[in-house]
Amino acid sequence: MTETVVKASHVWKVFGARYREALDAIQREGIGKPEVLKRFACVVGVQDASFEVLRSEIFCIMGLSGSGKSTLVRHVNRLIEPTSGNIEVLGRDISQLGDAQLREVRANQIGMVFQHMALMPHRSVRDNVAYPLEIRGVPKSKRWAVSDHTLELVDLVGYEDRLPKELSGGMQQRVGIARALASDPQVLLMDEPFSALDPLIRMQIQDQFKKLAVKLQKTTLFITHDLDEAIRIGHRIAIMKDGLIVQVGTPEEIVMHPADDYVREFVKGISKLKLFKAHSIMRPLESYQGDGGNGVALSAAPRADENATLDELIDHALGSGRPVVITSAGRDVGVVSKTQLLRSIQGDKES
Amino acid sequence: MSDDTRDTAAVDVGAVDSSVVAASDIEVDHAQLNESIARFAGPSGDYYAAAFRRIHNARRGLPNTFNLFAALLGPLWAASRAVWGMFWGFLLLEMIAWVQIGRGWWGNPGASFFERADKQRERAGNFLERAESARAAGDDPARFEKLAENLTNAADKNHVQGLAANAEAFEILLFGLLMLLAFKLMQGFYANIAYENQYSRWRIDPVRVESGRKTRNIALGAALVLMIAPLTIYDFTVASPLAALEIFPEKEVSALFVAGPNETLFSVIAGWLEARIDVAAVAGAGAFDGITAGVRSILRAISLALIDTPWPVVMAVIFVTAWRAAGPRVAIFTAASLVYIALLGYWEIAMETVALVGAAVAICVTAGIPLGIWFGKSKRAYHAAEPILDLMQTLPAFVYLIPIIAFFGTGNPPGILATIIFGMPPVIRLTALGIRGVPNDIKEAAVAFGASRYQLLRDVEVPLALPSIMTGVNQTILMCLSMVVIISLIGGGGLGKVILEALQYAAKGPGLLGGFAILFCAMVIDRIVQGAFRRDDQK
Repeated sequence: MTETVVKASHVWKVFGARYREALDAIQREGIGKPEVLKRFACVVGVQDASFEVLRSEIFCIMGLSGSGKSTLVRHVNRLIEPTSGNIEVLGRDISQLGDAQLREVRANQIGMVFQHMALMPHRSVRDNVAYPLEIRGVPKSKRWAVSDHTLELVDLVGYEDRLPKELSGGMQQRVGIARALASDPQVLLMDEPFSALDPLIRMQIQDQFKKLAVKLQKTTLFITHDLDEAIRIGHRIAIMKDGLIVQVGTPEEIVMHPADDYVREFVKGISKLKLFKAHSIMRPLESYQGDGGNGVALSAAPRADENATLDELIDHALGSGRPVVITSAGRDVGVVSKTQLLRSIQGDKES
Repeated sequence: MSDDTRDTAAVDVGAVDSSVVAASDIEVDHAQLNESIARFAGPSGDYYAAAFRRIHNARRGLPNTFNLFAALLGPLWAASRAVWGMFWGFLLLEMIAWVQIGRGWWGNPGASFFERADKQRERAGNFLERAESARAAGDDPARFEKLAENLTNAADKNHVQGLAANAEAFEILLFGLLMLLAFKLMQGFYANIAYENQYSRWRIDPVRVESGRKTRNIALGAALVLMIAPLTIYDFTVASPLAALEIFPEKEVSALFVAGPNETLFSVIAGWLEARIDVAAVAGAGAFDGITAGVRSILRAISLALIDTPWPVVMAVIFVTAWRAAGPRVAIFTAASLVYIALLGYWEIAMETVALVGAAVAICVTAGIPLGIWFGKSKRAYHAAEPILDLMQTLPAFVYLIPIIAFFGTGNPPGILATIIFGMPPVIRLTALGIRGVPNDIKEAAVAFGASRYQLLRDVEVPLALPSIMTGVNQTILMCLSMVVIISLIGGGGLGKVILEALQYAAKGPGLLGGFAILFCAMVIDRIVQGAFRRDDQK
């Protein structure tokens, strides 16, 4: 997980006829969004966004409607041209590509899944999935074989010859995922893929996608407005607000150390039990004073791995009534007292 | 789920203290409303605040408000408040009332009768003189005396009628006054309601909906009233108004622009146009002949297939096509139509019609669909073309038949060209509509997977626009069929000629039979095309 696959640096997007002047004014005078709208009739979509996505990583971009997250992700395959800044995919500057090269990159290296599926209603499921290959000129027999294989991955065997409208929403979105995977791209862009589904189906398809992601190891940019979803799926999360990336970090970092009040407001209701790992709340062994002053009980205390979740730690703590010793590769590295455990479940308050 | 958490978060930030109150306990914030109304109304804002409150409080029926100024000033009030709909409506109504008043008051309804009576008396006097001179000459004056007596009687009758008419004048005056009173009352009651309506619209769009009382509007309203009212009332009430008001003085106005003694603007422009067309016809003769030849060759190819092929073959092909494309029911209908056409001896001539329509439709579709796609993609091109399309559809066919004769002569090919002018707009319009209606996200998906512009068009836009395009083709076919009768006027053949002949000899029977033959052709073609292009996912 070291190679950078997608790299955005200082991407700006200003919509409107006078976008150049507007961008100049923003960068030089630092005027805000409302003033840009008033003076130049321009809308700022993305402000100075920079991020890197590593190989096989699922990078979530989370934000509310209108925060510019969908706009940002469309820069990666240049469905939207940046006003300034540049984006590299697999080491190639996307904005420097000619038309033909760009089409080739889109067809071979970047797959995309859309919020409203965007399947072609007049084509069968199989032909929908095969469409990216068809564009590349892959012969029919080959693309049908690939299509069937990909549909198997998303568990849609037996629906190949149906039309999209005969499928339920969740199944249609699985077709969408299959289509994005069909050309075996290195990068997967997912624009709120599960937002239009109802909650139960959403959970199922999220789990299914997680398993698939582990299997396929695709570098993924995952857009969502749902922090739970971002935490469940993402390795790292970028939080966007008004076109600005306000914080980038692992789910734990975001929840434990929100960068500002906006993020804090978001993470307030997030359950920490399954998110926090033992190593992030443990104290050094030496610091252990013992409950009520006696420091002898540690050898008899239960052991837990440093990657155990709070949920698991509670189980250990309840069983013994003693603090839990945290181990890493069989070695004791820290300790979690009951007080610390309870405090960390409580969240923000300093323990 | 996090949706819940976020919602609570939003509420926490946004609302400070909003508790739930039963609808019946909610108080109206009149202060705020009054302030807003006052801002809208400008002068005498307080009055309108009170009036609008009565309107807002009214449960049903007419609210009890009366605007005295609106009643007194009439349309001028409406103009000053920029309630233009009311201005025009009541200006018209008040004009009617004023005309009645004018007629009753100073108009002389009996004038024409008295005039006639005077003339008749004069002639009676003439005849009496001639009777005198006849008597002096020793002739029998009885004939002249009799005539004079008849004329005097007629004059008396006219005089009586004139008096009656004058007596009626008072009634007319009274009626006019009553009407005026009624309209004034209506305006008084209606004014605040109309103004409140305008206030509601102003709240939505304060920039474009006019508010307040503006001098500009008063001046405009007064100018309009001054221009319209006196002239109209004068014209209606005076027995013999100025001729210049009755008929537009085009000759006099023409004389200002045109030098020649017998020329008018009309004759000059018409002559100029005619010369232009002649010049263009001569200059472009080669091109026009080329077009005619092209159209003729298409027509000949279709005719060859339909007419020169033995009729059983053609019939069988049409029948099987109908069956395959649209199912057994359409096939049976097709067979019945074919039998009707063949038995009444219309076979060859109907096939000529089909060939004409086929050629026209083929050209319409091959040119129209690409144009429609272009217009669907480029808003600017569409806006530029729209007036032309409107013109093509609304211009009466007879208007462009004349230049078509000038450029292309008479016969079938020019007829096809005329048909194309009329038939092409639907397929262009509906293709453009269909292309514009393709969902953006599906297009975006295709582009995201690397589709080129051509692939996007072929794989996404045209297939998804196809239902709309086919509706357009269908419309075009029907439009072309309806033109078939008209092109017989410039020498086009087919069933149109049958109808035209029937029309010329007022032959009801043949006309009706020919008309049905056209109808059946149209329906068969329509059903087959509809069936052929209905896609699997639409059945």
